[in-house]
Amino acid sequence: MDKRHPNSFQQLEKLGEGTYATVFKGRNGQTGAFVALKEIHLDSEEGTPSTAIREISLMKELKHTNIVSLYDVIHTENKLMLVFEYMDKDLKKYMDSYQSPTNPSAPRGALDPDVIKSFMYQLLLGTAFCHENRVLHRDLKPQNLLTNTSGQLKLADFGLARAFGIPVNTFSNEVVTLWYRAPDVLLGSRTYNTSIDIWSAGCIMAEMYTGRPLFPGTTNEDQLLKIFRLMGTPSERSWPGITSFPEYKTTWPVYATQELRAILPQVDALGIQLLNSMLQVRPEMRCSAQQALAHPWFADVYPQARKGEALGGQGGGFKGM
Amino acid sequence: MASNYWDSTQAKHWTFTKPELTEIRRNLTASNPGLATKHPLPDPRHINIYLQTHLQKLARRLNLRQQSVATAQIYLKRFYLRIEIRKTNPYLIMATALYLACKMEESPQHIRLVLGEAARLWPELHANETGKIGECEFAMISTLQSRLIVHHPYRILTEFGGLFGLSSEEMVLAGSVVNDCFVTDLPLLYPPHVMAIAAIFLAVVLRPAGQPAGLQAHSSSGPSSPAGVAALSAGAAQSAMAGIAGLKQAGPKLGKLVDWLAESRVEMESVVDAVQEFVSLYQCWEEYQERVVKEAVGRLTREGK
Repeated sequence: MDKRHPNSFQQLEKLGEGTYATVFKGRNGQTGAFVALKEIHLDSEEGTPSTAIREISLMKELKHTNIVSLYDVIHTENKLMLVFEYMDKDLKKYMDSYQSPTNPSAPRGALDPDVIKSFMYQLLLGTAFCHENRVLHRDLKPQNLLTNTSGQLKLADFGLARAFGIPVNTFSNEVVTLWYRAPDVLLGSRTYNTSIDIWSAGCIMAEMYTGRPLFPGTTNEDQLLKIFRLMGTPSERSWPGITSFPEYKTTWPVYATQELRAILPQVDALGIQLLNSMLQVRPEMRCSAQQALAHPWFADVYPQARKGEALGGQGGGFKGM
Repeated sequence: MASNYWDSTQAKHWTFTKPELTEIRRNLTASNPGLATKHPLPDPRHINIYLQTHLQKLARRLNLRQQSVATAQIYLKRFYLRIEIRKTNPYLIMATALYLACKMEESPQHIRLVLGEAARLWPELHANETGKIGECEFAMISTLQSRLIVHHPYRILTEFGGLFGLSSEEMVLAGSVVNDCFVTDLPLLYPPHVMAIAAIFLAVVLRPAGQPAGLQAHSSSGPSSPAGVAALSAGAAQSAMAGIAGLKQAGPKLGKLVDWLAESRVEMESVVDAVQEFVSLYQCWEEYQERVVKEAVGRLTREGK
């Protein structure tokens, strides 16, 4: 048993509350450094929550600049405390509080193109690393992407992630917050793969430009229709096999495919091209994280982001944080 | 093999050399003076056979996949490298390992169901409240330092089976050999692909198509029919191992396997050692008597634990 006591961390304000955990800001008693303390509620009925077990064990495997670090796991009598690297805010809060200094007419929450590019690059680096390690995040959304004042972005909250090295095709289909959920998952697919994270990344990219979610659906059905209204209603011709999905309906209204360019006029041509390859309704048509990283849109991304280093400092490399 | 195995916690924290394993176990015994003499236990492999057999029984009652059983067995092996088995009730540890493995393999089982079936199967469990398994699970996660992701040989076996054109019969046999690796120390010594290759080797070499079985892996035969098992003769294995190069004549499958091994960076020594471990396991299995182990393990569960 681990004898270290959680009191060696000073517990500061509450940062958030999840379904199975409460997150506090903490300070390391010895070094004074900030940490995030995730306190797991133990359910006496079903032991340690599966989500917590999954998150801890995956974080033990995944060490990457763009994935939040798990420093320590502290077991006490009846509590489990995860000590994470401290990040300033999640992307949702960051966007909510952001007003462009360079473009005052931009809507609140819309980020500057350079920042978007840097964030997207880091998001894709982290995602590519997960995928190379046969891990699906399954729940990418702005709330699960953490940023710091150096302009770094890191993937967090692996509670729904899974290792996909296991040859099973009965993945639970209850994953990914509705707004960022890929159409194949919404259609009831249980054999989804890494492409579901790419869809989420595409949704997040669009949201960073507008400050508003791209597909803010309210129910599974509504979510699908919001996607179809933009991407066109799929048919057996555009998506062979679509009619055999559990959630396929013959009653869907038939929408024509819209031009992303028209909906997102603020995105440059190359950016639209990248978005188009991430937001493919058919999972097998979506690009991989590696392919996205190689896209010419990223040719002029901040060199620090490329190396996963902290941004900022001299030259005003990173604005607005 | 998985691209990430080499960076995994399994490779970095749960893979040892043989001298390291010996050292760890010696220290474990030394830190619990008197316990080993007070509770003598049979051959560790016989204990492992017993644990495997009983885990499989519980798994069958719960209708679980082999993947979960395999993961549970790895947890048991790792746990008993950290905690002296004589200080535990192995039945509680088994039930807990299986419960935890099911969560990890995304086929979670209700704690009540696991407890109920385990208690019916093992009167020695001495647990009638779910809290006991919950507590034990918590301790197990801590003891295993939350390093719970396990890389098994199965996926690689499937890949290699296709690569070398194994028949479905040979695949079944190789699969059973892989199941038996959990009775040995092999998963604590080598990466998963070594076990997969050794299993393919045994399946192909020792059971040429159209000839009667020279080898029968034990896992496939079920625990109830140990006498009916035609175990592999040591001589057959020795001669097979002796002439690995000459084996190319033994058939196209083997030729392909040998060529591939020569070109790959797989350590031949590891594969040979793994094959020998299997061979000696099957010899050791011949002397296995469930009753003897059951009594020894049963003694651990008394003594007011």
